[in-house]
Amino acid sequence: MTATLNLLKQPWVWAWVGALGVWGATAAFTGGQGAGEVLRAALTFGAFYVIVALGQMFVVTLGPGNVDLSIPACMTLAGTVAMKTMAGAAAMIPVGLLIALGIGLVVGTVNYALIRLLRIPPIIATLSSSFIYQSAAIWWNRGLRVKPPAALADFTTAKIAGVPVIALCVAVLAVAGHVLLTRTLYGRGVVAIGQNPRAAHLAGVGVERIRAATYILSATLAGLCGYLLAGFSGGAALNMGEEYLLSSIAVVVIGGTSVAGGFANVPGLWGAALFLFLLVTMLNTFGAGAGVRMVLTGLIIIGVIVAASGTRRRT
Amino acid sequence: MKTMTTVACAALLSLGTAAMAPADTSDKRIALSNNYAGNSWRQAMLRSWEKVTGEAVEEGVVAEADAFTTAENQVTEQAAQIQNLILQGYDAIVLNAASPEGLNGAVREACDAGVVVVSFDGIVTEPCAWRIAVDFKQMGKDEVLYLADRLDGGDLLEIRGLAGVFVDDAISAGIHEGVEETGKFEIAGSVHGNWAQDVAQKAVAGILPSLPEIAAVVTQGGDGYGAAQAFKAAGRPMPIIVMGNRHDELTWWKEQKDANGYETMSVSIAPGVSTLAFWVAQQVLDGADVPKDLTVPFLRIDQENLEEALERTEPGGVANVNYTLEDAKEVIGGGAM
Repeated sequence: MTATLNLLKQPWVWAWVGALGVWGATAAFTGGQGAGEVLRAALTFGAFYVIVALGQMFVVTLGPGNVDLSIPACMTLAGTVAMKTMAGAAAMIPVGLLIALGIGLVVGTVNYALIRLLRIPPIIATLSSSFIYQSAAIWWNRGLRVKPPAALADFTTAKIAGVPVIALCVAVLAVAGHVLLTRTLYGRGVVAIGQNPRAAHLAGVGVERIRAATYILSATLAGLCGYLLAGFSGGAALNMGEEYLLSSIAVVVIGGTSVAGGFANVPGLWGAALFLFLLVTMLNTFGAGAGVRMVLTGLIIIGVIVAASGTRRRT
Repeated sequence: MKTMTTVACAALLSLGTAAMAPADTSDKRIALSNNYAGNSWRQAMLRSWEKVTGEAVEEGVVAEADAFTTAENQVTEQAAQIQNLILQGYDAIVLNAASPEGLNGAVREACDAGVVVVSFDGIVTEPCAWRIAVDFKQMGKDEVLYLADRLDGGDLLEIRGLAGVFVDDAISAGIHEGVEETGKFEIAGSVHGNWAQDVAQKAVAGILPSLPEIAAVVTQGGDGYGAAQAFKAAGRPMPIIVMGNRHDELTWWKEQKDANGYETMSVSIAPGVSTLAFWVAQQVLDGADVPKDLTVPFLRIDQENLEEALERTEPGGVANVNYTLEDAKEVIGGGAM
């Protein structure tokens, strides 16, 4: 009984409750037909949300005003350059991965340099730099879609015992993120800065070093996501990152991470990612029109966030 | 047939206009005001513009033909851009608009300043501007009519574009009208694919498990390959997926055609429509009598000309046609291309 109550106090529970709820509603509507298939699809597509949301979560946790808006452009640039470099050759897959991660590293460094050296607020800095990354992606390949190597496409779409391999990999990544957040000096530093940067500084936390690492981590994960998504969907497209801007933030917030910073959790990311995908799927299955769907999406997201923040106030 | 009419038209027109061509517009400056460049279709559109107008400038048909794209796809930004182009003294503005009504004020200002405005693809409703419109509704209807020829009936999956954009509503209206008229099909499900392969793939993968067997997928372009991927991943029998002229879609179709005789059709608008708009603007500046509302034909690919179309399409790009002055004259004259 106490255990259940304790569980309900966790802010990430509501995202999972929401995900299970919409999944159940979809299954009930179709009489259980295809419920397993829907879940499998949710795991696949949720994995991509989780990769970028993991980086965004660390950034948001740094405190008010911290957000990475360059994620879509970074994904596009990394995906485009990696696909073109590999040019479909299986032997180049590791090189492509390194290039994608390297681009993320550079993007994160540039973002932080703008924030720190030029003292531009993160929202403006990452938004304006994203124009540069997007333009670089356009310039690099003029919007032409290069196919990924077959082996990479196979890897991103493979399943083990019915579970998508990519979801398993991202689950491991999420566990690593959880350990990073809760068990390392870096992770505790991020939370401390989010709660009070001055107190963190006085307590001996290397505030700027940690902020730099966080923006670089976020961009590197975006680069990884761009690489995998391009492999999964048959090539990089100029608009491939578009919907990951708002959804990366939505997943973080629905997952119970505080938008004001200083309070984060990883399990909620997976719950929220599944929830977002299943929600759209449910409304599609019900045959709701686009307008109704957007209104309901908004209302349900507000509901989950209110439920999650309500529990946080009580604790 | 097409070539013959083109030649005949060109011959007739050259008889009539031989005396005045090509000097009349040689000092004119034309600008392209474009609201978005973030996908392969728009990139191809800009490349076509560059190529065709570059040659036109070199040959002295016009003095300048510069392309300007706004960064944020915002009405206010494009309105400001149009005002700048007026101040810079361009003689004509070729416009792909962010909104059918939102730019009317700026377009009116341009007309009042004596600037010719030719809108295409994203057209404006301001009466003083020319419109090169696409009959998107007919395009949607054509898809269903094609399917009605192929199938006795069945369930359809509809992949729509970007919610809230009039093109999406128009194509979808055409599809629904076609379904009603032929009376053979039922639309079992509808998702928004945002004209992007990965978004379409995600949306289709989500709804597919809840659907009965799908006989065909009606699309809006840029989403067919993603739909095919989703059907394949779910292990479902492959329906007839109407394609949208993208290189990856045509390549997939060709692979299937070679492997198992897969048959479908592909329809979209050639990004080179920007060059048609360029020639129309040139004709207006030249003093030609051009009706305000023109219609641009679709670019349709069928089983027979798939290989040929695929060969002409740049890997990773969109099937395209660059229009010529003769094509423009034909469209102005109301002839079918």
